[in-house]
Amino acid sequence: MSDPKQNAQQKPGAVQTTGHAWDGDLQEYSNPLPRWWLWCFYGTVLFSVLYWIYYPSWPVGESWLKGVGTVNYTVTDKKTNQVQEQEYRWNTRSLLAADLTEAANNEQRKAMLAKVKAAGYDQIVKDPKMMEFVRSVGKGLFGDNCAACHGRGGQGVVGMYPNLTDNDWLWGGGMDRIHETLVQGRKGFMPAFGAALKPEQLDDVAEYVLTLSNEAKPGEAADRGKEIFHGPVGGCYYCHGADGKGIPSQGAANLTDKIWAIADVPAQKTLQDKKAVLKTFITNGVNNTRIMPAWKGRLNDDDIKLLAVYVHQLGGAQ
Amino acid sequence: MAQSSALPAEQYNYDIVRKFTIMAMVWAVLGMSVGVYIASELAWPFLNYDIPQLTFGRLRPVHTTLVIFGFGGSALFATSYYVVQRTCQARLAFPWLAEFTFWGWTGGVALGALTYVSGITQGREYAEFEWPLDIAITLVWVSYFAVYVETLRRRSQPHIYVANWFYLAFILAVALLHIFNNLAVPVSLTKSYSLFAGVQDAMTQWWYGHNAVGFFLTAAFLGMMYYFVPKQAGRPVYSYRLSIIHFWALIFLYMWAGGHHLHWTSLPDWVSTLAATFSIILLMPSWGGMINGIMTLSGAWDKLRSDPIMLFLITSLSFYGMSTFEGPLMSLKSVNALSHYTDWTVGHVHSGALGWVALVSFGSFYHLIPRLWDTKMYSEKLIYIHFWLATIGIVLYITSLWVAGIGQGLMLRSFDDYGNLAYTFIETVEFMHTPYVWRALGGAFFVAGVLVMVYNMAMTLRAAGRERVDEEARLAAKLAKA
Repeated sequence: MSDPKQNAQQKPGAVQTTGHAWDGDLQEYSNPLPRWWLWCFYGTVLFSVLYWIYYPSWPVGESWLKGVGTVNYTVTDKKTNQVQEQEYRWNTRSLLAADLTEAANNEQRKAMLAKVKAAGYDQIVKDPKMMEFVRSVGKGLFGDNCAACHGRGGQGVVGMYPNLTDNDWLWGGGMDRIHETLVQGRKGFMPAFGAALKPEQLDDVAEYVLTLSNEAKPGEAADRGKEIFHGPVGGCYYCHGADGKGIPSQGAANLTDKIWAIADVPAQKTLQDKKAVLKTFITNGVNNTRIMPAWKGRLNDDDIKLLAVYVHQLGGAQ
Repeated sequence: MAQSSALPAEQYNYDIVRKFTIMAMVWAVLGMSVGVYIASELAWPFLNYDIPQLTFGRLRPVHTTLVIFGFGGSALFATSYYVVQRTCQARLAFPWLAEFTFWGWTGGVALGALTYVSGITQGREYAEFEWPLDIAITLVWVSYFAVYVETLRRRSQPHIYVANWFYLAFILAVALLHIFNNLAVPVSLTKSYSLFAGVQDAMTQWWYGHNAVGFFLTAAFLGMMYYFVPKQAGRPVYSYRLSIIHFWALIFLYMWAGGHHLHWTSLPDWVSTLAATFSIILLMPSWGGMINGIMTLSGAWDKLRSDPIMLFLITSLSFYGMSTFEGPLMSLKSVNALSHYTDWTVGHVHSGALGWVALVSFGSFYHLIPRLWDTKMYSEKLIYIHFWLATIGIVLYITSLWVAGIGQGLMLRSFDDYGNLAYTFIETVEFMHTPYVWRALGGAFFVAGVLVMVYNMAMTLRAAGRERVDEEARLAAKLAKA
């Protein structure tokens, strides 16, 4: 471009065309390649050669050029148990190994994990530092494994997935019970009463159950329902208890609070509608629809312990 | 130049060009509207309405197929048939075969969209057509090749104009890509299994996918550019030498770069390195086309103030330059580690697809339509309005996806003091909601521009029809008097 002769050539009109013409007026100038364009092109080629030298590149015979790039990470010798840093060739496998060892060797993480492993649940809950660590690990664990059903905040979905933030726990809200739920999973079951009870009887039971949480007022129908609930015909008290407060070892719900996990009673406006959803539910029962998977084997023991504390602190801990 | 005394409309086969031009606009409206709908589904998932046929997974290939093959493909058929005739000064060879390419292509695209909605797909990106449609498309493509090459052979010009090199490279390369990527074992009329397996299959798919971008969306549209930019500017192409060098460099280099779509996967590291470097070397050859187009206007920059068509063409070249810079950048291993699987990729594709492919097609159509129907455009003002709606739409679209993609990439790699991930995946999805809304809005702007163009085109065609009737009436009156 610095050549004055070239500049003169590039003035419009001064440059020759190739002499061809198409479709009347289509022509081409015979301008040279722009210098900057050419040098940039050579530049990209040079960059690529450097890239080939650094990273694994061209195939040669049965192998390929391994590149001069390296990755360092620590390895533990299995025989001597000695930890030492080693240098490896750059490739995606060594990069992954480096990332994993770096994460595992995070000093703060190692220290806190050892502390949490040694501590009992009572100690962990009382220690703000340990709880901070629980929330740091638990957020990811819960978000990646639990949130798909229970929601990001553990709020659940009425009728489908239990709410973990309230004070109502089908299988018990103590730390040990939560731990057990995580390890072995749960399978909800309630028999269907559609065949065992007549429609009027179902109405009566529904009415009685609603009186337990003050949704309905006592009366004749409720009294008839009470008889079924506590007698051999319905036998509801076997699982829900004589006081209707549920038995966590059976996964049986507490019927005396206003929290409903399956039949969406609070969403219904009139007593009739509340009774109707409850009746439908008692008619069909629960069978093979409410299953919490077991996490033993899918998550390691440390993660399950951390997750139990995390779920416990979501709100409705007992 | 010896000009034929016959009227262009009689000398050349314009009928086929008109048909493809109209269909291109039909596909543009349909395909881009589907695009806005699925973009809205990402921002407001309830729009799925739990109807399988409306879900993102089924509509996404409908969108890509209608815009790439429907709109882009028809625009290429239209312009290539126009350019090859005008630059060879020869009427299109095998008119019946050209007619077959129109009905075959249009039918193929329509059937493709219907099969995807019904869940029939090969599951290969941009190659979702199941095997019966693949075979039909192959027949159409071979016919296209025959028509094109025979017209070139019948040219009454000693030299083949540069636009035709690009179109021919596109026709040849797409045939090669389409056939090899779709080699499959059919098990029923609507289901087949790829002949390749594992990483070889992925490699074949992205060799196809990347060169679909390279030859379908780049080389072919450069062919379009090489005719319509100098034609509209009324000036010679800037450099013949540059056009040769960047043509061959582009053709040679594109075929190597597909592996960059598979960085950080089970693809061997050395393949990934080569793909990255060939993408870097591809930068300047890609820019050769932009330089040649933009420099063609050098000395006549004032046209940008007075000619909205020139505005479309030059802006398209600017977006072309930007996205061909962004592409090599994203193909570097370290940049790709952030960008891969994020919406940065989607934004990048759209800066090329909307900014380059669609704008250069609109510009070329605005040049073409008055010549095809032998009239003037109904409104120049509406061309300006279209230009601004489209440009605002593109800018909204790509900037919002930079935010969404780079933002998500950064969130997914941030850690807290304990070395735990700072964000869960769902938090990154929540973060992307706002950019997704802006992206859908950008798309809506772009579609609004297309609707303005369709209106402008419809009014132009109506006026052309009236002029023809008047002309015929005048002739008839003259004859009656005589």
